[in-house]
Amino acid sequence: MELSDANLQTLTEYLKKTLDPDPAIRRPAEKFLESVEGSQNYPLLLLTLLEKSQENVIKVCASVTFKNYIKRNWRIVEDEPNKICESDRIAIKANIVPLMLSSPEQIQKQLSDAISIIGREDFPQKWPDLLTEMVNRFQSGDFHVINGVLRTAHSLFKRYRHEFKSNELWTEIKLVLDAFALPLTNLFKATIELCSTHANDASALKVLFSSLILIAKLFYSLNFQDLPEFFEDNMETWMTNFHTLLTLDNKLLQTDDEEEAGLLELLKSQICDNAALYAQKYDEEFQPYLPRFVTAIWNLLVTTGQEVKYDLLVSNAIQFLASVCERPHYKHLFEDQNTLTSICEKVIVPNMEFRAADEEAFEDNSEEYIRRDLEGSDIDTRRRAACDLVRGLCKFFEGPVTGIFSGYVNSMLQEYAKNPSVNWKHKDAAIYLVTSLASKAQTQKHGITQANELVNLTEFFVNHIQPDLKSPSVNEFPVLKADGIKYIMIFRSQVPKEQLLLSIPLLINHLQAESIVVHTYAAHALERLFTMRGTNNSILITAAEMAPFVEVLLTNLFKALTLPGSSENEYIMKAIMRSFSLLQESIIPYIPSVITQLTQKLLAVSKKQYTFSKVLFVGIFLLISYNCSVIISFPEFIPYVFQVMSLLLEMHKNEIPSSYMALFPHLLQPVLWERTGNIPPLVRLLQAYLERGANTIASAAADKIPGLLGVFQKLIASKANDHQGFYLLNSIIAVSYTHLDVESVDQYRKQIFILLFQRLQNSKTTKFIKSFLVFINLYCIKYGALALQEIFDSIQPKMFGMVLEKIIIPEIQKVSGQVEKKICAVGITKILTECPPMMDTEYTKLWTPLLQALIGLFELPEDDTIPDEEHFIDIEDTPGYQTAFSQLAFAGKKEHDPVGQMVNNPRIHLAQSLHKLSTACPGRVPSMLSTSLNAEALQYLQGYLQAASVTLL
Amino acid sequence: MKASFKTPLQLRPSCQGGRADFSAERSLAKIRLSPRREQHVEALWLLPSLAKMPVVNEPSERMKKFKNRGKDAAALRRQRVEVKVELRKAQKDEQILKRRSISITSMEKSPTPEDKNVIIQLSLEEIVEAVNGNNPELQLQATQAARRMLSRQKDPPLNQIIELGIIPRLVEFLSCADSAQLQFEAAWALTNIASGTSEHTKAVVEGGAIPAFISLLSSPHMHISEQSVWALGNIAGDGPLYRDALINCNVIPPLLALVSPVTPVGFLRNITWTLSNLCRNKNPYPPLDAVRKMLPVLTCLLEHEDKEIIADSCWAVSYLTDGSNDRIQIIVDTGILPRLVELMGSPEMIIMTPALRAIGNVVTGTDEQTQAAIDAGVLAVLPLLLRHTKPTIQKEAAWTLSNIAAGPCQQIQQLITCRLLPPLVELLDKGDFKAQKEAVWAVANFTTGGTVEQVVELVQSGVLKPLLNLLLARDSKTILVILDTISNLFLAAEKLGETERLCLLVEELDGLEKIEALQTHDNNMVYRAALNIIEKYFSGEENPDLQPETDEDGLYKFSVEKHDFNF
Repeated sequence: MELSDANLQTLTEYLKKTLDPDPAIRRPAEKFLESVEGSQNYPLLLLTLLEKSQENVIKVCASVTFKNYIKRNWRIVEDEPNKICESDRIAIKANIVPLMLSSPEQIQKQLSDAISIIGREDFPQKWPDLLTEMVNRFQSGDFHVINGVLRTAHSLFKRYRHEFKSNELWTEIKLVLDAFALPLTNLFKATIELCSTHANDASALKVLFSSLILIAKLFYSLNFQDLPEFFEDNMETWMTNFHTLLTLDNKLLQTDDEEEAGLLELLKSQICDNAALYAQKYDEEFQPYLPRFVTAIWNLLVTTGQEVKYDLLVSNAIQFLASVCERPHYKHLFEDQNTLTSICEKVIVPNMEFRAADEEAFEDNSEEYIRRDLEGSDIDTRRRAACDLVRGLCKFFEGPVTGIFSGYVNSMLQEYAKNPSVNWKHKDAAIYLVTSLASKAQTQKHGITQANELVNLTEFFVNHIQPDLKSPSVNEFPVLKADGIKYIMIFRSQVPKEQLLLSIPLLINHLQAESIVVHTYAAHALERLFTMRGTNNSILITAAEMAPFVEVLLTNLFKALTLPGSSENEYIMKAIMRSFSLLQESIIPYIPSVITQLTQKLLAVSKKQYTFSKVLFVGIFLLISYNCSVIISFPEFIPYVFQVMSLLLEMHKNEIPSSYMALFPHLLQPVLWERTGNIPPLVRLLQAYLERGANTIASAAADKIPGLLGVFQKLIASKANDHQGFYLLNSIIAVSYTHLDVESVDQYRKQIFILLFQRLQNSKTTKFIKSFLVFINLYCIKYGALALQEIFDSIQPKMFGMVLEKIIIPEIQKVSGQVEKKICAVGITKILTECPPMMDTEYTKLWTPLLQALIGLFELPEDDTIPDEEHFIDIEDTPGYQTAFSQLAFAGKKEHDPVGQMVNNPRIHLAQSLHKLSTACPGRVPSMLSTSLNAEALQYLQGYLQAASVTLL
Repeated sequence: MKASFKTPLQLRPSCQGGRADFSAERSLAKIRLSPRREQHVEALWLLPSLAKMPVVNEPSERMKKFKNRGKDAAALRRQRVEVKVELRKAQKDEQILKRRSISITSMEKSPTPEDKNVIIQLSLEEIVEAVNGNNPELQLQATQAARRMLSRQKDPPLNQIIELGIIPRLVEFLSCADSAQLQFEAAWALTNIASGTSEHTKAVVEGGAIPAFISLLSSPHMHISEQSVWALGNIAGDGPLYRDALINCNVIPPLLALVSPVTPVGFLRNITWTLSNLCRNKNPYPPLDAVRKMLPVLTCLLEHEDKEIIADSCWAVSYLTDGSNDRIQIIVDTGILPRLVELMGSPEMIIMTPALRAIGNVVTGTDEQTQAAIDAGVLAVLPLLLRHTKPTIQKEAAWTLSNIAAGPCQQIQQLITCRLLPPLVELLDKGDFKAQKEAVWAVANFTTGGTVEQVVELVQSGVLKPLLNLLLARDSKTILVILDTISNLFLAAEKLGETERLCLLVEELDGLEKIEALQTHDNNMVYRAALNIIEKYFSGEENPDLQPETDEDGLYKFSVEKHDFNF
């Protein structure tokens, strides 16, 4: 392609077509351009157009096309052809900087991006004069040009902020520093001077401040990796000026916009970052300046308004103070009582205030509000920053800070008491303050786990939280109600149980509040309280204690689902599920009335064909139809549906209703299993099906067995969910043994083991091994040791020996849990005593080691390192055989010890079994014992034999 | 399925400082060891402890090596890395100036016949003329004038004097045994020229000064002998080339001969400093036989009562230990480790610093060498140093600790037994950033090589909170090392079946939200490491080979491919 007018004309035509809204015209034009972009001179034609075209739109279009072209083609990939010819490359590099600088801003930005893409590849080696060329423009005095240079420099240098240190990188930075640091410093000084000479010229100031922002950003990038000598020598200049800028205000730069940060805010915000960088990394050198910055930033905070546009600045500024006040050698800057008081009063308290914007979110965007307030996605908010500052100050000054705040809390509460309807925000701030002061560590699962001992949480609760919640009007002061409920929720582990019990009716009452936040919080608080565990890991709040409230709880929970905005509220659904599981049988009498009431309401209210609630209730109670596409539309809600369904299914004493069976194939749909949150409740539901509907499945849905095993395969492939796979597998095996002995399962057994072996080979984890050991022993108990040996050896010769030697013997000690250990003990006893190949093949050499491992399993202290509080029902369970069954809430406990009836004392059982074996082959057993069992184990074994009153022949 | 390889390390380069009068820049190659992982390499600068004289620019150099971990002998290898780039200042001016002025004053007061009233100002032209002339009086005056210019506090005219071309003449004057004063003035002038940049030193050496100075070591005039020692120190400090040139000219025997019980302390300081420069620099290291000759004297000097002499002897040892394991072994064999450890605990910064450096170098060596340092008591002293107020000391101490933590679990156990964990955690929490970075490495190495029980002990000592806080560090490498450490902790937790508990703990300490936030970090490796932890421990993670396909009904297909199993 020549650089001819004709070609320029053609290119213009095509560019114009790429702007056409009609794809029939646009697409071919785009295709054409792509097809010619490999030609020599193509980029130069674009540059010519963006400079000289008569039409502005073509200029812009050419600049965008150019940038995209550079992005796609500039990089030279090894072993691939160079996509831009060398002469074009040279011409581009020679022309692009002046062109960028002389272009209007819109085009300048595109070219600046293009330069940084090229720079990333070519700078510095292949573009040695770029820096000089840019720096020379600083002299121009034209701030349009200067800003162009600064912007380009920023995009070239910002990678210094995240890349690892390396010789190459540091060589480049050094080069940049040598060429750039001094001119940048001079420019910085000159710009600041210009700011004062143009202090009354708004438009000049805007340009100058844009430059200052870019300069401050460049400072950050250039100082990020280490403190450069140049900047250390010139720290005085930079820091003094930064400090001045922090304290500067100019009416002309103030913006009317309440939301969008103005230039002044952006600049100060960047300066806070720069100071924080120095304070963190170059503390030794920065120490002389730091106190000044602390003062300036704190004054800044005191004088900055509540508007949203200041949020970033304020949060950066507070975070700066928070990080500094935790350092021991700056302690003195804060320790003066007046300083502390002033920080508390002027910085922390104001930024904890509930602002108009919060109020708006509370009312109109409650979902967002809840996410921020409850789930902690508030990292950049002022409240959060203020909260971090409180925590930082508490590191050294917990006593004084608590003291100061107590004063504030009291006075704010008094203000509130004077006139609640006007001053309710004072109380909100007081509660927030107490919360941030008291909480030292927190998790979603347990709420606050460590609290400031200086704060009397219970007293505050009784005096200030409960009264609000006791007020008969649930809709008055919704923000305070939400605060109060949240207080219960997060301090649930710190407040005594009797207070919690007193709160339960209050929470239930607030399920009726109109405010979405309030009833959501109430539901969430109840749900959290119901998961709490007391001593001995028993449920803290019992079904009996809940008995007086069952009806109103259920009524209000279901009613809450009909409140506007909450028809698909997952917190409520979760609370319903949790209540079912806590209350168990006691809900049954209420179900009919609840359903009737709800169905009516739903039919009346619901206009949508498949509202969430409707599907839910139809699904649960009527079981008429089930449509998977609906499930996809409401993913968060679904797990609870499954849980409620399993609870209901487990309550059936008899064979499964056919309406449930219609649903069964749908539960095997991969789409459901792709979401992690669905897995535990779905497994549980399938277990319930297998428990209650084994015969039906065998007779009516035998063709679904592969699908069921497919689900098992899916789960076993996952490290996170393999234990769920075993739950399912254990149910399948248990069921196939007790109920049906399904041939269809039998034919898959070998494949099941192969899968397990694959997992064992590819990625074994302790969790997997534990589950695996329990499973094979369970299998051994059900089908016999010989069956186990035969199936293993049919997969691969000597497989059984390898599993014994490499897995069972070395790993059996890892099994924990009483039932699990018992299963393994009985299983191994069977292998030892009921498996002829153990006596008369090469496996014999494993006999004594296996026995020794079994004795170890008996005699080593119970491994109770897995905390029992992990045994939550449902989603948050700890893997284990017993858990899998205990989650089937309505099944009696005995069923879950599958060896219970068979074997009471596994040690005695071992002794008896050995005795039996020794009678069958006299002499063998004692000789094996005497040759290789270690003395201690032998002693234990003799104890068992004595206890069982048997001897070995 | 073991630890993955990490990216190569950071190099903290050293730079060529400007004119380093009176200050010797010390650099250190650091070695980070951890099994099958990369090493962290970092150089440290410290202020020169002694030297009155202008001195040394040293090309600094880095070394990267892997510490042998137990059975992993095959992985033992080392690499040297030249470091060329440094962004930071190499030295602090105030200190340099102070030392210089002090030494000048003392010089001016030296009992030479020259006197306050006889100071004669000469122009450069007059100097050239006189120096090249034959009038001994004028020669002396001119040499003195040149010396005085070279000794002035600000901008000594090194280049101008060199350009005058008088260096060869000044070197000739060194041999004028009949005029001790001229010898002395010439030696002083040349000393100061040699104190400049490499170019300046080169001019002196090429003027033939080396043999002349070496023979002056045996001058009957002590002040001349002392001045020569000084000049030779400057030449030796220039780098390995001139250092070896001196050694080849047999500088060591006459230099060592000057050391005697009656040598004045000031003189002895100079000798020690020059010896330390003869031990200094790598690529190549000083010849082994030279080192062996100097070591017995250095060992004695370490016992001297003068703190500057002790300090410079420590520096010498620190240079000798800054090398391969066989060089470290030579030092270990002298049996001075207990003395070095004792000096590490000295209240004098100038002694503590190089002693710590030397011991820090020793523990970069083999497990046995590290054990020798442990047996010498290093673990009893380190807690004090980790709590030292000076950031550089904290940093060096943490660096030393990190290398001990890279050892076998028996040594890690000794760290625990000697109660190193509390100061480590404190440092991680409140130390200077440079020291925190080292402490992070110490924790990382600990979690890589420690047993599960040891890792539990580490967590119980409260390491997690400050470690997680440092995820906010403005340093990608540190963040990555922390993320790796967290993964190590999870591996240990998995072994104990305590994954859940660790998850909760990490969340409680606000670590989870920090790790989540790092998923948007601009550095790819950081982002991937964070993502990996989140996926592995805070959500589900799949095993792609075993994933079932779906059949024609859209259900999972239960399908198995047989493998050969071997556990």
